[in-house]
Amino acid sequence: MKNRIRVLRAEKDWTQAQLASHIGVSRQAVIAVENGKYDPALPLAFKIARAFGKNVEEVFLWEGGDGGPPSWSS
Amino acid sequence: MDRVHSDQQLGIRQSRSYLPFLLVLIIASAIDLTAYYLLDRVSLSQPARIGAALLPLPGNLTLLLMILRRIRRLDEFQKHVQLEAVAAGFLATGVAVFIYGYLQKAHAVGALNMGLVWVFMVIFYAAGYFAAVSHYK
Repeated sequence: MKNRIRVLRAEKDWTQAQLASHIGVSRQAVIAVENGKYDPALPLAFKIARAFGKNVEEVFLWEGGDGGPPSWSS
Repeated sequence: MDRVHSDQQLGIRQSRSYLPFLLVLIIASAIDLTAYYLLDRVSLSQPARIGAALLPLPGNLTLLLMILRRIRRLDEFQKHVQLEAVAAGFLATGVAVFIYGYLQKAHAVGALNMGLVWVFMVIFYAAGYFAAVSHYK
């Protein structure tokens, strides 16, 4: 699963620790999700998206191949 | 500047949350050592020996409850890492005990000290934890 957390974080000028504090998770969790090493469950994905004022689909992109056309591919 | 300040505050808050656990750990360890000393070096009646043997129980149970409470408060990623670490600790200890058992049958080693099993588990848990953390970095 791809994500745009790094870009969105830079837009808000947030550190990983600040994002982690904002959504109530550890900094390691933010690092793992941001680096694409760990796919979050829906509640965490929603929390991250809401922190940036976005929908989940605007932050995360499913690359499984069976989930329909990918978005924000440009 | 605000960013650095807020990161520092977060770090201080996180390290403070470990203080009660560390305090109970130190007290429980001191009680463990006292019980060991009483049983090993002091001449006691049989009921007193049983009392000394059970002395570490409250402290250790408190530690156990504190760890369980901490696990409940972890976020989903931390729980995932802990699961991998505990699985590594549990399974690797099983393998180590099996192999030790076979070595014992081969008369290559002496009887297994049960205290060692726990030490094995801690070592394998720590290895599993660091492996999981580095995997998800």
